[in-house]
Amino acid sequence: MRKQAWLRAAAGLTAAALVLTACSQKSNEGSGDSDGGDSAPSAGWPETPDVEIKDGKPGGTFRFGITEPTAIDPYNGQESEGLLVTKQLFTGLVQADPDGNIEPGVADKWEANDDCSQWTFDLKTGTKFHNGEEVNSESFKRGWERVSAKASASEVAYHLTGIEGFDEMQAGTANALSGVDASDPAKLVVKLTDPNCEWYVRTVHPVFSPVPSTAGAPATNTAYVEAPIGNGPFMMDGPWQHDVGIKLKRFEDYSIGHKAYLDSVEITITANGSQDEYAGYQNGTFDWARMPTPVLEQARATYEPQNQWITRNTNGMNYLLVMGTQKPLDDVKARKALSMAIDRDAIINGVFKGSMTPATAFVPPVFPDAFQEGLCEACTFNLDEAKKLAKEAGLAEGTELNFQFNVDAGHEEWTAAIKDQLETNLGLKVNLSGVQFPDLLNNEQQPGASGIYRAAWGADYPTPSNFLQPLLSTEAIGAGPSEPTTGDNRGRYSNEKFDQLLKDGFATKDEAERIKKFQEAEKIAIGDDQALIPLWYRTQHRLANTEKFINLRMDFSENPDLYEISIK
Amino acid sequence: MGKFVIRRLAQAVMVVIAATILLFIGLFVLGDPFASSGDKVVPPETQAILREKFGMDQSLPMQYLTYLGNLVTGDLGIDLNQRRPVADMIGAALPNTARLALIAIIIDVIIGVVAGIIAAVWRYSFWDVLVTIITTLAIGVPTFVIGVWLRQTVSGVWIFPQVPRSFTELAPWYTEVLLPAVTLAIVDAAFIARLMRGSMLEVLRMDYIRTARAKGLGERTVIMKHAFRNSIIPVVTYVGISIGILLGGAIITETLFQYNGVGYLLYRSILQNNNPVIMAIVTFAVLIYVLLSMIVDILYAYLDPRIRLS
Repeated sequence: MRKQAWLRAAAGLTAAALVLTACSQKSNEGSGDSDGGDSAPSAGWPETPDVEIKDGKPGGTFRFGITEPTAIDPYNGQESEGLLVTKQLFTGLVQADPDGNIEPGVADKWEANDDCSQWTFDLKTGTKFHNGEEVNSESFKRGWERVSAKASASEVAYHLTGIEGFDEMQAGTANALSGVDASDPAKLVVKLTDPNCEWYVRTVHPVFSPVPSTAGAPATNTAYVEAPIGNGPFMMDGPWQHDVGIKLKRFEDYSIGHKAYLDSVEITITANGSQDEYAGYQNGTFDWARMPTPVLEQARATYEPQNQWITRNTNGMNYLLVMGTQKPLDDVKARKALSMAIDRDAIINGVFKGSMTPATAFVPPVFPDAFQEGLCEACTFNLDEAKKLAKEAGLAEGTELNFQFNVDAGHEEWTAAIKDQLETNLGLKVNLSGVQFPDLLNNEQQPGASGIYRAAWGADYPTPSNFLQPLLSTEAIGAGPSEPTTGDNRGRYSNEKFDQLLKDGFATKDEAERIKKFQEAEKIAIGDDQALIPLWYRTQHRLANTEKFINLRMDFSENPDLYEISIK
Repeated sequence: MGKFVIRRLAQAVMVVIAATILLFIGLFVLGDPFASSGDKVVPPETQAILREKFGMDQSLPMQYLTYLGNLVTGDLGIDLNQRRPVADMIGAALPNTARLALIAIIIDVIIGVVAGIIAAVWRYSFWDVLVTIITTLAIGVPTFVIGVWLRQTVSGVWIFPQVPRSFTELAPWYTEVLLPAVTLAIVDAAFIARLMRGSMLEVLRMDYIRTARAKGLGERTVIMKHAFRNSIIPVVTYVGISIGILLGGAIITETLFQYNGVGYLLYRSILQNNNPVIMAIVTFAVLIYVLLSMIVDILYAYLDPRIRLS
């Protein structure tokens, strides 16, 4: 008992100290912009400028570290580390550039029919797999069926949901995707059960990669799984040495774009992730590194002057999941009051030392065409307005608010700071509790769940709709009001107008018009209804050896863009 | 002696079965390896397909019986994450861990026994005080502190390979194993030195030592022939158990030095809820442990006839 009380006191003191330092730092910056709504974000390190991509020359070995991936075969590649390797080994129908713009891959041209229920991809002819086999429409059909087959038990097969015949293959009742027609080697025709005018964007995901006939289906051919033969700019140089490393070399017959410049890429598998990567960068082992959060400030001070530092806002958003169907947050005013009572700048300066950028919208700036800066008016700290709204919503002093986060993932400090701000600013009684990640999800899914939860999201495909549809559409609840949710809309937000705008968006062929629909939808869900509380964008920092290499930049998945990197 | 061995064997089998049952239940309680554990939910349909593939749609007792049946035939199953045969994974890690354990034991036995004897024979001398101080320090400082310190200061110097380093920069196994082995050996050596000192002091007070001295035997013969053999028993027990623990993998030390042994594999598997690998490694550790303590008991019986008779 005594020990617990002591611990709690210590935790409270730390939190208080944090908030205090946050406040003092803020007042040091001075100039009273805290209640002005129109000022540019005052916290956060600026993004480093875009790298101008120059022609490279062949040669060199690029070295960096990752943690052991689950799979590098496209059938089950899932985490960023595995997909990094898969993307070097395979080139899909289309590809995304570092800003998420879609560029041709094996497909030159793609087109949907009038209602976007059927897609036709015209393929380049004469492109090759690493073993010399030609890549044609059959290679894609084979790859997709290999993923869909029940016996492959792919954990990422759900990306193919919506293709005709996919459900039957997952159920084990069919051996082929009835909706994929590969009768013309140079044309791939895909029929969808859910019409979608931006479906082609999905195919940037490596799960849509083509595979040669040696791959075999279902995906149980271990020789292939351990050393996949693909059609990408790099090929395996020997099999994957588990827990040790992966070596890639340039594919000399790559004809989808220019050949890769690097002779080889050495990917060392480390035990301690970013910690080892940073240590390896410091001792000259690696040419690229992630860093643990505590060293960011120091590393930036050392490496930014040397031009070896990269900061980018990337595909992701940190936010608070809001249980808006349950008291005390079932009133939009209560949700806005909460959002306005959080001083994001203070937390970013105090806890994150400036390494994040406060959010003013939900779809992040990495989608420049869809990004609506300032859309979330309640994302600006405004104490008077917050108090007023709280009063109107009946969010009285002493109201209990449940706030959960997952432990051991670096969320302890900032969640404590938010608790402190809400208690100080609105007089709420915040019950902050840290739980294991699976428990957090499980608690969020329960019908009676209330309060706020730590959450983050990154799009699977480079489209703003992937921030809206899975998190906020009615169908993504996947359950009735008295059942646990099965989709990602765990806040159970449901708004017919929002659903209709999304639906209209998916049925609009013109890209600019489509994005307008999604923007309107975001305005309703976040701007008007405050269905979620955005906190800060996902901002990533990397070290890159610009002394030896040029064209060093982060790709859309936050990995080094190996295809363009060249020695000086 | 034969009866003693048989009794000991029967005990060992029961311990193994009980341990696997406990372990199985423990893993089940720990959580569902296929439940969502990230920001995105795993669709329920996908979870169902995975459970079916790995036989986890069966009831718990059924799963246990299947596991036990497979274990007897030497089939350790497929890991849930990368879907490789667990036997292959352990097969790759075990030689590394065995090497590490062996080198660590050699280092700590040599240092520990010598230091212990010196401290006991020249009791209250400068050397005794030194041994006491050093062993107290070594036991007090946690292994990971020693490991982190060694990694930061010594790795990359002289013959010690850099950590981390690119996997293409190969280092001979005996240099790679050295730092983790020293890290592991420091604490063990301290324990052994204290054990050795204590039991040696006790033995030196025995009547038969006085008798030996009275017979006119040289001090060297008294210590090495009469005292040493009798005082080494607790050390033998300790070393036996220590080998068992080390073969089960040194989680922290192996992870710290990027050393691909059983401990590192176990660490990763626990993070991933990778039940078949955890089951296999822990079962293996139990087996080794049981086997070694059995051997130690039998050795005891050989070293001290009173044990075999009681």
